[in-house]
Amino acid sequence: MRDEHRLLIALQDLDIMIKEVKDKATSKELQSLGFKLTGLSELQEAREKLAKKTPKGLLQRYEKLTEHFTVAILPVTGNLCLGCFVKLPTSFFSAVSRNELQTCENCGRLLYIP
Amino acid sequence: MKSMEASKLISFFEEDLCIFHLRSRKKMSVLTEIVHHLAVNNKISDEHFIIEMLKNRESLGSTGLGNGVAFPHGRSLAIKELSVLFARSASGLDFDALDGKPTKIFFLILAPSDKGSETYLAILSELIGLIQKPAKLKNLFEVTDYQALVKILEDKDL
Repeated sequence: MRDEHRLLIALQDLDIMIKEVKDKATSKELQSLGFKLTGLSELQEAREKLAKKTPKGLLQRYEKLTEHFTVAILPVTGNLCLGCFVKLPTSFFSAVSRNELQTCENCGRLLYIP
Repeated sequence: MKSMEASKLISFFEEDLCIFHLRSRKKMSVLTEIVHHLAVNNKISDEHFIIEMLKNRESLGSTGLGNGVAFPHGRSLAIKELSVLFARSASGLDFDALDGKPTKIFFLILAPSDKGSETYLAILSELIGLIQKPAKLKNLFEVTDYQALVKILEDKDL
């Protein structure tokens, strides 16, 4: 897996965490359990640093996808896109290089072979 | 949130995912040790992603809730399936706990990015409820094997 793809995965993990904190129901639940969620700005700073390291074109593709999906980049498991659960065509695997990100033709999510 | 039956809660624990004698003495090294244990047991695809995610989670606010217990948790693409790891440090260590006291036991709860979010919050809630019972907590501080751990978790009288 290329470094820029690793950056994107780390970025997505961070985005999911930020989304959970911003989600009123989830943050209320976590706070009711005793967690102090005071470091949102630190998370946002870490996100900005990661975003700056990510190639612009890739970041734009990812951010466009996150307007629709929580999980925009996924590993391929079996022969399915785990985002939309549509079977990937055989041509997907013959054309794919292990190091290249591919796009699910059905939902548009970014896919990689782990 | 719905409460979870003890048997259901225990089903998330695995003997291979318990560390009864942590070697680490510092916050970041304990995270590394427990994540490495998950990797050895094939529960995660990449240690680096999980450690980074947990570090970020700690920067949001310590998961050391006090009374000697911490609940590191989160979601990542590098997590293959919902996993719960139990770890114990006999002497305790500084985990930036909210009460400033040493942390002796750790429940690490991890879920994949794309599923299991509801379940991991339910597990978290149930475990936090359990450790409110002083007798249960005292026993957890001293537990050194999996069978005893299960017994403590399912014992309604504790």
